[in-house]
Amino acid sequence: MNKELLKKSQSLIALLLLCIVISILSDKFLSANNIWNVLRQISVNVCISTGMTLVVLMAGIDLSVGSVLAFTSVICAGLLKDGITIGALNIHVGFTIFGGILAAIIVGLLIGLFNGLVITKFSLPPFVATLAMLTIARGATMLYTQGIPISNLGPKFEYIGSGWLIGIPVPVWISILLVLLVVFISQKTAFGRHIYAIGGNEKAAFLSGINIQVTKLIVYGISGMMAAVGGIMVTSRLNSAQPNAGASYELDSIAAVVIGGTSLSGGIGTVTGTVIGAAIIGVLNNGLVLLNVSPFWQQVVKGLVILLAVIIDRKSKK
Amino acid sequence: MLTAYNLKHINYQYFTFTVQHSTLIKSLNHIIVLGGCSLKKLITMKKIIISSVLAVVAIYNSIYIESLDDLKQKKDSNFDFAKYSQDLYQQILAKSQAVELSQLLSSFAENDHANIAKYGNRLGIGSSAYYLVKCQAKILEVQGDRLKVLAAGNRLLDIDTKFIFGNAIRDASGLVKLTDFKTTAEFNKISESLNTIIREKAIPEELKTVKAGDTIDIVGAVKLGEKQHDLLNLSVLPIKISKI
Repeated sequence: MNKELLKKSQSLIALLLLCIVISILSDKFLSANNIWNVLRQISVNVCISTGMTLVVLMAGIDLSVGSVLAFTSVICAGLLKDGITIGALNIHVGFTIFGGILAAIIVGLLIGLFNGLVITKFSLPPFVATLAMLTIARGATMLYTQGIPISNLGPKFEYIGSGWLIGIPVPVWISILLVLLVVFISQKTAFGRHIYAIGGNEKAAFLSGINIQVTKLIVYGISGMMAAVGGIMVTSRLNSAQPNAGASYELDSIAAVVIGGTSLSGGIGTVTGTVIGAAIIGVLNNGLVLLNVSPFWQQVVKGLVILLAVIIDRKSKK
Repeated sequence: MLTAYNLKHINYQYFTFTVQHSTLIKSLNHIIVLGGCSLKKLITMKKIIISSVLAVVAIYNSIYIESLDDLKQKKDSNFDFAKYSQDLYQQILAKSQAVELSQLLSSFAENDHANIAKYGNRLGIGSSAYYLVKCQAKILEVQGDRLKVLAAGNRLLDIDTKFIFGNAIRDASGLVKLTDFKTTAEFNKISESLNTIIREKAIPEELKTVKAGDTIDIVGAVKLGEKQHDLLNLSVLPIKISKI
């Protein structure tokens, strides 16, 4: 029983140990400012990783999240700034902040659904399909912006990424709400159980009457939406949409999922575990910066931590 | 006492009740008919209506539509003349449409009307046109804000670096149309701010680097009449001076 509990909370223990070690090495780590900063930074990864967890639970992978983040980010900023001009009707359609956000989320959803459609209808491996989308979305971002950032989106929009609500940064509130929603979906609904069932054994899930194609479609759609929310948060925080935003975010989110204990072969894992995984990556990044570790070494350390997490995961399963 | 028979009987009764119960629900579903719609259809319709209302509310709060004319008017009232002129200045230099001064003057000397018309830009129906010209010249003398330079063909040019006013540069560029602006005042404001950039920023910076005897590249604007007789005493409004 104790062994089981220890196994379940190994990522939480790792996070606590990491925090203790960094706070001993750097006196700035436990300052309120730094903690809020870390929470704000990990909010984006938490959002993306939450969607990614559902995909990985289903034994899939979504490599396109970073590019989808960038694309939805520029779509949101572009619509907020310039709207859409329909010359034939002599009208200009402007977008409110709500409209821009809604449009970005819909675009994210559509890209996710497209990924799901390609994977289910053409039986493409998720790795290949989403890798292709990674390139397509990045290219579309560059085409849309011509490589130029879209800036000055206004103080109201900036509030989403930089504001505070009841003493807590707004992005942290957003990620808490989304995590609670996805935890509810994955643990308390039939749809959530279908995801675990597909990840555990797709054939058995099919034979028990689960609509695999629709479930996959929805899960990839959710992943795209989560990436879009991440994109909105990044855009708002910078008050600017950068065409190269979100590069390598897919790796960070996969790392968070894996460190959080979700099995890459599907069927095992939790969203709360992923949140802890994202926190480990965020704390690690922050700690390495506070300790003045060279950015090149930071990447090496991050890679080693992911490797270690996967090895421990494999060993514990044996 | 519960015997095997009793259990079987109870199970049978339960089964019968369940079947009857579900049949009852189905019957109720068919009995409740409102305007020809079954309960199931009503629920679906309710869902569609709620979704449509939500979609309408979302769209209403997401977008606003305005006519392009209103938008243009709004933009014009916030028009940034300084930025527009700065961009225009860069465009004039980047496009490099300037004709060699010697080439332009020989066209005039030969009454080559086709080329004269090609090189010049004119506004309206006036007899004078504005030309964007370039040449290489040697500075003979720096007299305060004036430069006396000797261009190709031993042509003496007088360049006033301080008295840069009027619409010559704007019109010589051929890049600004009167129809782009609502009023003539706004159109002229472009000249005013373009001249200010050249007079107070671009030329003074370049002048710091030159002295008598230096060879320079000049890009400038000249105003010439259709039948210009005096081709010797030309006054060039400088746009850019750079030391070679």
